[in-house]
Amino acid sequence: MNKKTGTLSRRKFIAGAGAMSGVLLTGCETDIYTPPEIRSGLMGVSDVLTMASQRLLMSGQGLVKEYETSDITKDFPAWGRTNPEDENYQQMASTSFTDWNLSVGGLVNRPSSFSLQDLKRLPPRTQTTMHICEQGWSAIAQWTGVPLTTLLEAAGGVKQEARYVVIDTYDGWYDAYDMFDVVHPQTILAYGMNGKDVPQGNGAPVRLRVERHCGYRNLKFLKSVQVVASVEDIGLGKGGLLSDYNWHWYAGA
Amino acid sequence: MALKQSGNWIHRHNYNVRICHWINVLCFTYLLLSGIMMFLQFPELYWGDVGFRGYEAIFKLSNWGLTWEEADALGNRQWGRNYHFLFAWIFLFNNLIYVGWNLRNQHFFKRMWPRRGELHKDNLKEELNQHLHLRVAKGDAAKKYNVFQKLSYLIVIFVLFPFMVISGVAQMPAFTAISPELIDLFGGRQSARTLHAISTLLLVLFVVIHVFEVFVAGATNHIRAMITGKYYLPTKEKI
Repeated sequence: MNKKTGTLSRRKFIAGAGAMSGVLLTGCETDIYTPPEIRSGLMGVSDVLTMASQRLLMSGQGLVKEYETSDITKDFPAWGRTNPEDENYQQMASTSFTDWNLSVGGLVNRPSSFSLQDLKRLPPRTQTTMHICEQGWSAIAQWTGVPLTTLLEAAGGVKQEARYVVIDTYDGWYDAYDMFDVVHPQTILAYGMNGKDVPQGNGAPVRLRVERHCGYRNLKFLKSVQVVASVEDIGLGKGGLLSDYNWHWYAGA
Repeated sequence: MALKQSGNWIHRHNYNVRICHWINVLCFTYLLLSGIMMFLQFPELYWGDVGFRGYEAIFKLSNWGLTWEEADALGNRQWGRNYHFLFAWIFLFNNLIYVGWNLRNQHFFKRMWPRRGELHKDNLKEELNQHLHLRVAKGDAAKKYNVFQKLSYLIVIFVLFPFMVISGVAQMPAFTAISPELIDLFGGRQSARTLHAISTLLLVLFVVIHVFEVFVAGATNHIRAMITGKYYLPTKEKI
């Protein structure tokens, strides 16, 4: 939709990239070891131990293992919600998502809206990775999409006070990701799966890949991206739909 | 006054062993329960990296009388995940302290390391025979662990416990970035999950035999010894 995103001026891009490296820096200085809200009692201690120990081990921002295309799982499961009831979604699905738009707002320098075509014009990343569901299953698929950092740069970069990226979906899900995950090169908004469009059951038209987390944080049916300084006003204020219902926020374990 | 029994009180377990033992009982109970609660909501096991409902499984609970839906209704993985990780941390710290402490005071070496001759097949046969006939050690023999106790404790502490932690960690998505080699070492993510379950069964088997033996050898005396440290040592004469 937003034609400007396709022809990002060089000056603006550099400003955006500068803001992103600011994110990288603050990402190291600020709290990457604790969730937005620490649960009370021993459960909070356990959460912090899990998150802090893993984040420490991942501090080099290394990539997750990427598999060969021959490793791709046939019949990758379509788990959880596979068809949002949302009326707008159904209408967009009936026209192959040509009307679909992803709004990118909040603490970005240039709030924008991106059509599927806009996303596909941005430099893509393709990765073949293992999806691990907290419930127990795992399967390998190839995902193609826009790195989240590239998208945020296309929206002018993020402001200094940015701490989390909140994603809303058409199946009513929401989740917040801290900058440690946002800047990871394999955190992408995938529009392609195994060389084709993402099928409906796997999150059409665009789903999130945060490879170092359990499946449930790899949101499907994306609706909007919002950069915030705090998750207080998101849902019940604990940084995600499941954490609002007493699941741990950090899902690397 | 009741019949005077022949025997005397000895000091059997140091306080570190006693405290760590009971913390482990608590941890094991919660880890097993929470593990089962998670497993019930995905009651199949696979081998390799890939596994999902419909994929070729090596174990299906549905073949053992509980359908997927019935198992799912009994499970609760939100509770399971919360408590599994919480008690895994307590378990880890508890056993690091236990192992560190008892390496330092040479408890493992002095009391658990098999002595010369103990592993000889005649001795193993003899002790196995005593076990099978449920004959309880008396006198000096009751002061120390028998060879099967020694071996099972050493295996549980130095093989199964570390294996549970490492095979648990190998199932975590973060480890696809931290150490994919670790996952490959198990033969894949699903293999790690399967081996975690098998190792759980071995630990359950240990606990069943351990508790059974405690009852055979005198539950009151042994449980009291693990709480207070004091053990009533019967002499060889009939009580």
